[in-house]
This record gives sequence, C-alpha cells and structure tokens, in this order.
Amino acid sequence: MTHSLHRRGTRESLSNDFVVLGCPATGVNKKGSAPKTQKFLSICYKHGPINLGDMKTGNIYNTTMDDILKRVTDGTIVECTFDNREKIVSLLKELKEDRPGISVIISGVTDVVQQCMTEAGLGRIHSLEYSLGTWGNTSRLPDFEILQTVTMCGHAMIASDLVRKMVRDVKRGRRTIEECCLEMAECCSCGNYNVTRGIQLFKELLPLYSVHSLY
Amino acid sequence: MKADKDKCIACKRCFPYCPMGRIQTFARHDKIPGRIYIEIEQDACTDCGMCLRAKICPVNALYQPEEPWPREVRGVLSNPMIEFLGSQTPGRGTEEMKTNDVKGTFLPGEVGVGIELGRPGIGAYFRDVETVAMALMKANLGYQMAAENPVTHFMSDKKTGKLRDDVVNEKATSAIIEGKCKLEKLPQVLKILQEVAKKLDTVFTVEVITKVPPEGEVPILPVFKKMGMWHSINSKNNMGLGEPHFKFYEDEK
Repeated sequence: MTHSLHRRGTRESLSNDFVVLGCPATGVNKKGSAPKTQKFLSICYKHGPINLGDMKTGNIYNTTMDDILKRVTDGTIVECTFDNREKIVSLLKELKEDRPGISVIISGVTDVVQQCMTEAGLGRIHSLEYSLGTWGNTSRLPDFEILQTVTMCGHAMIASDLVRKMVRDVKRGRRTIEECCLEMAECCSCGNYNVTRGIQLFKELLPLYSVHSLY
Repeated sequence: MKADKDKCIACKRCFPYCPMGRIQTFARHDKIPGRIYIEIEQDACTDCGMCLRAKICPVNALYQPEEPWPREVRGVLSNPMIEFLGSQTPGRGTEEMKTNDVKGTFLPGEVGVGIELGRPGIGAYFRDVETVAMALMKANLGYQMAAENPVTHFMSDKKTGKLRDDVVNEKATSAIIEGKCKLEKLPQVLKILQEVAKKLDTVFTVEVITKVPPEGEVPILPVFKKMGMWHSINSKNNMGLGEPHFKFYEDEK
C-alpha cells in the first residue's frame, strides 16, 4: 500500500505536508492492537492534525472522531495528516516517550522528516520508500497542477474532472474554495487529503483554468 | 456500479465524481416517452463506489450490485472501503515497509520494488498487470513476489507472473505488484520496467524500499544516481518505534 507516497508537488508545497500512519504488524503485534492504535490516534489528535481517519470508517470530514476511535479493531491502520512541521516535532517527542507499540510511519519530504526526528531526539529514519515517478503512457495523465491535488488521495478517489468542475463552480460564484476543498476531503476516505495544502493549491489553480463546459 | 433506469433522470451530477473520467452514455427509456437515463460503461467502471459515496444522486438511482467472480475483483482492489482478506491489511497492497521495524521484511542488502498500475485516474486491466509481472519474472532476477499481495493471489503461476485467465480482462482503479530482490539486481529490475513501460497504454508508479543503515549513505541512492533516475524528494519513512523491535544487526541494541 503506497497511497501516501506518490504526492506530487514542489518542495515548498510538500514541506508542510505530512501523513502519519499507525500500523500494527500481522503475525507480530496485530493481535490485541486495537487499544494501542486508539492510543496512537488520541496522541495524534492532541497535536492538531488537519485530517485524520481510517479507510474503512472514513475521516473527520465525513464522520466523527468518536466514531473513528470506536471502530478501531485489531489491525486497523489509521492515518493523520498534518500541515506543519512543528506539530510533527511535538508529536514525535511525545511518541518517543510514550510509545504506542505499533509501527509509526511518516510520509513527507525526506530531509524535513529526518530533521523533525533529530529535533525530537529520535535517531535516523529506520526504513524508507522512494517514488521513482509515473511511467508508461503519461500523456493520459492530467496536468501537473491538477495532479498535485488529486495525488493527495492515494486511492485516486478525487477525480480530475471533479477538480475542473470545482474550478468552474468557484469562478461562477456557486461555491467557495474552502467548500470545494472540504468536499475533496470527504472523497478521500482515509484522511490523507491535506485541506490547508488543498486550499493553497486550489488558489494557484484558479487563474490557470477556464472551464466553460465539461461534458 | 449501475444506474437504475427507472429512477435516473440523466442530470449528470455524478459524472465529475468518477475517477475513471467520462464513462457514461445516455439512453432513451423504452417505456417512458421522452425519458433519458444514463448507462455506466461496465467495462470501464472499476466499481470503486466513489459516485455512490458522494451521495450526489438526487433520485438515488446509483447502486452497486453484488458482483460474481471474476468481476468482484474490481471492487476488492478499487473500493478503499473493502478489505482483501488474503492480505489481512486494509487497502490493495500489503504492510510492506510500514512494519519493517518489527517484521524485518526488508533486510540490509534487499530492496522492495513495488509497481502500482493505473493510478492516478486511468485504471489498469489485469492483462497490463500480467505484462509487467511476466516481464519481471522472465528476467530471472530473483524478484520475489509478496505472497500476501492481492495481485500475487490472482496469479495462476507465481514463478512466471501469469495471472488467472478469468481475471485478465478485469479492471481496477489501481493494482500493485509488490516484491523484493537483492540490491545488486535493482538496476536490472528498473531497466526491465523501463522497457515494459513502452508497451502499456496505462501508467504505473514505481517505488523502491530500503532499510536505512545506522550510518552512511542510503543504499539505493547511488543506484538512482548512476542510472540518472529521478526520485521524489518526499518519501514514506518508518520511524522505528514499533515493538518488539526486529534485530537487523548483530551489534544492535
């Protein structure tokens, strides 16, 4: 599962974009992991994520924190998205002192994540995964500006046509940028969509597109 | 996904929510004069359920029928709310490096290589997945498929990467081939993928996993550099906080 890995964007845009995952290990610590995962989720929540969820339950924009916590079972993988590095440093400091016992993974700009770990008193990154980009018939992909938004949902549930429709809606005064981004957050059920970054990307997208007719 | 022709009023509100793009056509109702409804092209639809979850249909015309084998694999791989029981992990892949700190899945000298076809927003047929898997296995580079991965599960021959004949024409929003090989084989694996990329009408993302040594360079970076290969500035990083900790080195505390 690589759904937080292939986020596209510039260094500036990605530097305040972090997805923190809590993952129990099948065959090792999965059995009896529900309370650990709930504890991890509660710690993350305390540090102010912009989004948080579990793919089988949904995220805080389409259900409640209580519901997400209640539906955690052994093996649930939870995901919390943060929009600034200071929150990550304080979160890591707490996780270092009060380890939940399950594996913790952070997707983000590699050197920024390493800096956060160092500031929190943790050592080197344990294992990492790099994206080598998108190969094959890339002419079928949407423009980079739209890709930056849609790749925030790793399950590819934010359709590029939806982004175009939202551009049209905002330009016609039907909806605000914030309303559009909250709806995109609802589409991405895992909670990986960074609403703060989404709003910024949408602002950058607006002058580039004029969508008169979609179909 | 289907639209009930007796309910649908062809308002088009569901169109932009489809991650596969415009896959709907209009049809004329045979019993109600003047009534138009939409038909969802079943071959293009991956049963991801996004249009239904968006709750956008004003007349509740969209519905997901229970699909028989082999079509059911579409939903299993494309709908994030469905868990593939074979992997015991929510989502369409495995735990891969996420639990490397406690499981030791990727040891020093080994690299994980994942190939995710179809994402974002294009989708992939299993025949495309088979093309990539068979190219990798044919090269005989010691690439070892992850047994618990759904794609591996759908293979009729894991040694050759051949998929079951009944699934090859099914389509998913994305499908991931996951496995590992020795670090020294990584350049050849990537070359194989570069070649097979030319044969596909879809896209795939490539990801490489490594254990980071306590000191020194991340082992896969010199390989990328030598091959002139772009890699992302962002990565997925295991913090090493899981317990019990897997012992990777003899002198490890």
